[in-house]
Amino acid sequence: MKLMERPGARPGHGRIPLAVAPLGSVLVALPLGVAVLGPLFAESPAAGVSAPYATSDARYPLGTDGLGRDVLALLLHGGRSALGMALGAVAIAYLVGGLVGLLAASARRRWADELLIRPLDVLLPLPTLLVISVVAVGWRGSPLAIALAVAAVNVPPVARLVRGAALDAASSPVTEAMRLQGESRIRVQLDHIARSVITPVAADIGTRITLAVFLVGSANFLGLGLNPTAPDWAVSIARGREGLLLQPWAVLAPAAMLVMFTVGLNLLADRLLGRSRRTREDVR
Amino acid sequence: MRRYACQRLALGVVQLALLAVLVFLLTSLLPGDAADVRNNEDAGAEQVAALREQLRLDRPPLERFTDWASGIVTGDLGTSLVSGGPVLDILTETVGTTLVLAAVTLAVVVPLAVTLGIACGLREGGLLDRSVTSVTLALNAVPDFVLALLLVTGLSLRLGWLPATWVGVGAADLLVRPGLLVLPVTVVAARMVCLLSRQVRAGMVTVLQAGYVAQARRLGVPRRTLLLRHVLPNAAVPGIQELARVGDNLVGGVLIVEAVFAIPGVATALVRAVEARDVPTVQGLALVVAAAALLFSLAADLFSHRLVPRTEVLR
Repeated sequence: MKLMERPGARPGHGRIPLAVAPLGSVLVALPLGVAVLGPLFAESPAAGVSAPYATSDARYPLGTDGLGRDVLALLLHGGRSALGMALGAVAIAYLVGGLVGLLAASARRRWADELLIRPLDVLLPLPTLLVISVVAVGWRGSPLAIALAVAAVNVPPVARLVRGAALDAASSPVTEAMRLQGESRIRVQLDHIARSVITPVAADIGTRITLAVFLVGSANFLGLGLNPTAPDWAVSIARGREGLLLQPWAVLAPAAMLVMFTVGLNLLADRLLGRSRRTREDVR
Repeated sequence: MRRYACQRLALGVVQLALLAVLVFLLTSLLPGDAADVRNNEDAGAEQVAALREQLRLDRPPLERFTDWASGIVTGDLGTSLVSGGPVLDILTETVGTTLVLAAVTLAVVVPLAVTLGIACGLREGGLLDRSVTSVTLALNAVPDFVLALLLVTGLSLRLGWLPATWVGVGAADLLVRPGLLVLPVTVVAARMVCLLSRQVRAGMVTVLQAGYVAQARRLGVPRRTLLLRHVLPNAAVPGIQELARVGDNLVGGVLIVEAVFAIPGVATALVRAVEARDVPTVQGLALVVAAAALLFSLAADLFSHRLVPRTEVLR
């Protein structure tokens, strides 16, 4: 009976069977490379080096934007803030949320668990972009404030996810067996539970970075984040839309970078998620 | 059901109260207060002080908060620093457009996502499933503002099929020119449909493999009844829970779309108030939008509890 119920007969998983992982890695690596190494290859973009909205020529292969700045230089300089703010925000969210989640899961008293998790539940349904716009009233133009706001709105879901994954692992037969064998609490926690939390967390980090890139980008696009002349991909997109038909590259090039990064990350995360689901089914 | 509803409502009230405190704290701890903002640089220090007294900003924060909160309870959201009129007027002017936009979006998203999710979930791994999964995976990774600009360039600027902005459009024109809604709704709906349909699909797949469905099949329950009575209510739960969360996407999408298409809605008013550092307006509008999002998630939670009472949505 048990054998019949095993969902073993699930070929394909309904997921994309292509060589997704290498494609995803390439898609992520390219914008990341541009963001990290870009500033080494170009001087910081100065206004008025050429006529505004000039189309591409030998000197400026991607043309210029509305202020007459070289679009290629903008592109090479704009990644650090666009991706850096998002990556930093997710790192902070995981540092705080992950800690809270692990503490809550390993709390021996139920009230301690509740005390740690419930207050975060209250904050969960707050619209994220709304929080950022309220923060932006006072700290407009400060990348740190925007990154911190993005981190703050990500803390509750991260804490919940980590707590859930850790509790799953803590109630598994493996943990019970380890406990019965008399392994120390620390060894059980670090060796088994921490390791089994890693896969769902890795998948979540992928989607969360995508969301953070969206959020940071949206804030910058709306003019709530960096100041409107900063060399940032989202700011460039917002600025370039006035000359969209004259000089589409000013919008398309940074947009392509952002989309490549998020599509690649989503592919990688989806693959990880599929793998973790499969292993969980095999174990069951 | 009633007990759960009471608990969930109580949580909602606590959330709302906390929200009011948070909004007030965030906006009142700002460097520089309303008096600084309203004055230009050339105003003298004593003028700023006089204005501060006039706006009653010299009182302790707690007193100002109770004042503000009791105002909200009686329906007074405060006075805008820019226009000098009540914030409530700004809200009533703009709320109609935003509500229409949000309602039409939801009316498009929910049926579309449910149909797609069911169709894909029924034939897991089939051609339709694989193509829809790939498209949603890719579309989900395109930021709203990029999608909006691409659609505007392609469909309205190059081909001229649809209007690119709402500049000069009144609320009455909406009924006459429904074409105005097409692009904004598409942009907001795109990512919501992706997220929702994936959840509905996952719900279908899980439920179809459950033991009780196999048992019902063995007992000879007709396929129609099986799907409608046994599979759908259970499969819908992850979808509805996701719906409670996509309220976030809805608010974010509306903020972006209103900016791109110059739609005279609440989000535009909010962004403008942030730019002008019109603190009372930001406080009022942010509170109203967040309260709407809370209500939305409350409704979704209650509905999914009604469908499948055993799921503990609260925890």
